[in-house]
Amino acid sequence: MTTIVALATPLGKSAIAVVRLSGKEALEIAKKLTNGYNFKPRYATLRKIYDPQTAEIIDEAVITYFQAPKSFTGEDIVEISCHGAPMVIRQILDACLYLGARMAEPGEFSLRALMNGKMNLTQVEAIRDLIDAQTLAAARQSIRQMKGEISNRLQPLKDKLLDVIVILESALEFVEDDLPEYQTEEIKASLTEIINDLEKMASTFKAGKLLRNGLRVALVGRPNVGKSSLFNALVGYERAIVTSIAGTTRDSIHESFSIDGIPISLIDTAGLRETQDVVESIGVERTKKALADADLVLVVLDSSEGLRQEDKEILKDVENLCHLVVVNKIDIKKFDLLREIPSSVNGEVKIVEVSAKTGEGLEYLKRAILEPFQQEGLDDKGFLITDARHADLLQRAREELENSLILFEQRASEEVVLVGLHNAMKFLGQITGEVTTEDMLNRIFSTFCIGK
Amino acid sequence: MYFDEVFDVVVIGAGHAGCEAAAAAARLGVQTALVTINLDLIGQMSCNPAIGGIAKGHLVREIDALGGVMGRVIDRTGIQFRLLNRSRGPAVQSPRAQADRSLYRLEMRRTLEGVPNLHLRQGTVVDFIVRNDQIFGVELQDTRRIGAKAVIVATGTFLNGTIHSGMRTYSAGRAGEPASIELAQKLRELGFPVGRLKTGTPPRLDGRTIDWDAFEPQPGDENPVAFSFATEKIEQPQITCYIGYTSEKLHQRIRENLHLSPLYSGKIKGIGPRYCPSIEDKVVKFADKNRHQLFLEPEGHNTNEVYLNGFSTSLPAELQQELVRMIPGLEEVKIIRPGYAIEYDFVDPRQIKPTMETIKIKGLFFAGQINGTTGYEEAACQGLIAGINAALYVQSRPSFQLRRDEAYIGVLIDDLIRDGVDEPYRIFTSRAEARLLLRHDNADRRLMPKGRELGLVGDEDWERFNRRRDRIMRLHRILETTRFKRSSTEYASLSQLLGCDLGDSISLAQLYQRQGVTVDLIYRLLPEPIRSESSIKELESALADIVYKGYIENQKSINERIYHYDELKIPENFDFRKVSGLSMEMIERMERVKPQTFGQLRKINGLTPAAVSTVLVYLTKK
Repeated sequence: MTTIVALATPLGKSAIAVVRLSGKEALEIAKKLTNGYNFKPRYATLRKIYDPQTAEIIDEAVITYFQAPKSFTGEDIVEISCHGAPMVIRQILDACLYLGARMAEPGEFSLRALMNGKMNLTQVEAIRDLIDAQTLAAARQSIRQMKGEISNRLQPLKDKLLDVIVILESALEFVEDDLPEYQTEEIKASLTEIINDLEKMASTFKAGKLLRNGLRVALVGRPNVGKSSLFNALVGYERAIVTSIAGTTRDSIHESFSIDGIPISLIDTAGLRETQDVVESIGVERTKKALADADLVLVVLDSSEGLRQEDKEILKDVENLCHLVVVNKIDIKKFDLLREIPSSVNGEVKIVEVSAKTGEGLEYLKRAILEPFQQEGLDDKGFLITDARHADLLQRAREELENSLILFEQRASEEVVLVGLHNAMKFLGQITGEVTTEDMLNRIFSTFCIGK
Repeated sequence: MYFDEVFDVVVIGAGHAGCEAAAAAARLGVQTALVTINLDLIGQMSCNPAIGGIAKGHLVREIDALGGVMGRVIDRTGIQFRLLNRSRGPAVQSPRAQADRSLYRLEMRRTLEGVPNLHLRQGTVVDFIVRNDQIFGVELQDTRRIGAKAVIVATGTFLNGTIHSGMRTYSAGRAGEPASIELAQKLRELGFPVGRLKTGTPPRLDGRTIDWDAFEPQPGDENPVAFSFATEKIEQPQITCYIGYTSEKLHQRIRENLHLSPLYSGKIKGIGPRYCPSIEDKVVKFADKNRHQLFLEPEGHNTNEVYLNGFSTSLPAELQQELVRMIPGLEEVKIIRPGYAIEYDFVDPRQIKPTMETIKIKGLFFAGQINGTTGYEEAACQGLIAGINAALYVQSRPSFQLRRDEAYIGVLIDDLIRDGVDEPYRIFTSRAEARLLLRHDNADRRLMPKGRELGLVGDEDWERFNRRRDRIMRLHRILETTRFKRSSTEYASLSQLLGCDLGDSISLAQLYQRQGVTVDLIYRLLPEPIRSESSIKELESALADIVYKGYIENQKSINERIYHYDELKIPENFDFRKVSGLSMEMIERMERVKPQTFGQLRKINGLTPAAVSTVLVYLTKK
């Protein structure tokens, strides 16, 4: 297989970047980059890197060689930790390509790891999440899945389901044997419990998705209510770990930050209008679209000026969107807007009072931003499904079991009830490995005394 | 080569596999010899005198639909018929019958003697005549040589058979019959991978010494369901079986004497079937059960011999006598034949093709217990497929195979050749993914057209089948189109009977899906003339099609979704060792099975999900 190369760290300015080579030629390429240095496996060595065409020094980097099969992909891997300047990175990648490597496709390192038996499917999917993980919490969750947490969580459910299958299969397969009659109520209870557990697991997907993809939050308000300072106050708070979105600049209308490790993409609609006001209508359209795309809209009001007609119009515009009202400038508050906003009176909309200037109420605002998305979030053990495929399989398994439970309650014959149970088992098997007929028979014969 | 006699096909062994094999080959028009050690014991039931049971009954009906003999013979000699799982859905109902053991044997011989091209020969085969990995015939103990283009080995428990009775061990094929030791040796010399399996039988009792009143009678069905689609009526007078139980006192006595059991003293090395455990096994492994169920099954109309089903044992004969007397009702009983365990050679079935021909030697076929199965029905269906394919091979016609979703026979053979066996293999309905489709009542619709095409179904059977199928198809239409409107008189009484509203109108098909609606009720509601023209069995079959339709479609779509890579072809001579990252164990498992598609690979026992995904990634990348 050809040797692949890619930047292993996120694109963008950083102190250090890692370029990774994997494949048969990896070591040879590394040698050529370093004037023939003889790398020892698992040793990090500081070497100068030369351009193979011009023999000029590109950079000085720490190079580590992982010998197959003891590497992430199971192939020879060379990791070059170079300086993070985009120019340096590009030159090193170019040099590798010149020496015979090709650029890796997205996920190709993981694919090779899978092919070489270094990981199973669940782990690969988790790795994919790890690569995409924007924040620490998402990364932590990815690592949990890699360690087989899904398997650990599913196993007891599969066991319980297998128990039910075994009881029903035995009842129709071994009619001539003196088997104890099964307890209908117990089976109903078991099935209900499995259904609820699956539902619980699957429902964490919403929160899981949130963890991975983050939330899009839009700021809207008439000019001078303090949107920009609120924007800066929110973003600036965690500026140290803010990750810029590729292709945007610091004065962008987008900025990312995180609350409790959940990535938030904040959009200032003022930016939309102010930068694009050549044709006002375009700005309006863009604002509308930004609002519609947002998971949450923050309507900013000014408590020093009272509610104006424009404010009321904006409130009306977002009526049907998930939104909350931020009353800014409470440090110089003159009006009690809570009384003036009609929807606040009947408690339909949450209102948060802050001062972007002093920081008062900001913490509370952050809680309020997450709140609508956290209700069905993490389960009691902090477990999350972050992969759409897993969530889908769990839901399907649950649906099959629900159908079977209904049939069972209607006293349908066992072979019909079992269809859904086996289907559910198949769906769960798609996540963590199948249960074979042999597994089932083993359980039957160790549970019941069968045979004449 | 000199031969005393030459045939197209030679079948070794006249048990349940051998009989079907010989009959099928001969009826396909090739000269067939059935060679057996003792012509008086053709179709002998070595174990319990019964045919059928859940899934096994399905097999018999499939054999019958393909023109086999087992169904017809049991219908003529069965002395107690029961349709099992009557209270459950039609897919898991299955016929079972007690046979008159000696009548069954005689009827089987009579049947075979009536088959043209079939020649019975008594003799003990001691050698295969093989040149360049191709079979040319067999040699008998008396030095006669029989030439054949194809040979089917159906030797049951006779290969290297060893009987255990307490601490005594002796060579035998069945109690009182010699084992085939030389033949077993020849198979090893030919390089077949041979293993040992074990099975056992219970003691047979003198019926005159049983206190029958102490047992609970178990009568047969009032209206027996036959196995053969050709049988119109069961003629044999029907008998009653009896149910009894062991006692804790008896268990205690067995535990005290386990050192006398060859099973527990480690003398028996072969693996026995878990679903047919000896009484020693039951007592040890399920120690918390304070009684085990037993069946007293009379062996026939003209004998006092009674089969003590559920009491299989290899304990010493004198101890057996003491033990059975501890069973309530058997205090005075006398044993006629003691039970025993038997160990025998089998050949790893992963070295046979779906046609039952060995991969190693052209023209050599294996059927029955030699392939690691247990049970008359399992043996018979393999015999049938081997017999068919041996004849087709001789005639240079394309081979015949059944898929897993076409027949239990297909499931059984596929399981054997794919996974091999760890214990004697028995069929279960749960082994069939398409369980709802593979019903006993539609075996004819599934398979008879195939049997007809092969040339195994005679004109009379074929016409009867066509009439039955036409009536069932008509019933489908009528069940869907006969509707009762709210205004009709039937509607009012039906709605009252079921205690609920039935919508504006309801068809017979919809009505049957309601809780509490029986086949009889639908039958009464059928319009004329279809009602007088069809039987209740035909209606049952038509209704079963309707009831399961939705589930079958749902299951199909799910399987397609999950297993959409199943059809992905694995190239012949695909080198699994080239797929990096597979452990040796995984590679060996895959190489043994030689899967042709990803679907076959995925079903191999013991593969880790990672190994399966790895191969998939490799295959889809290419």
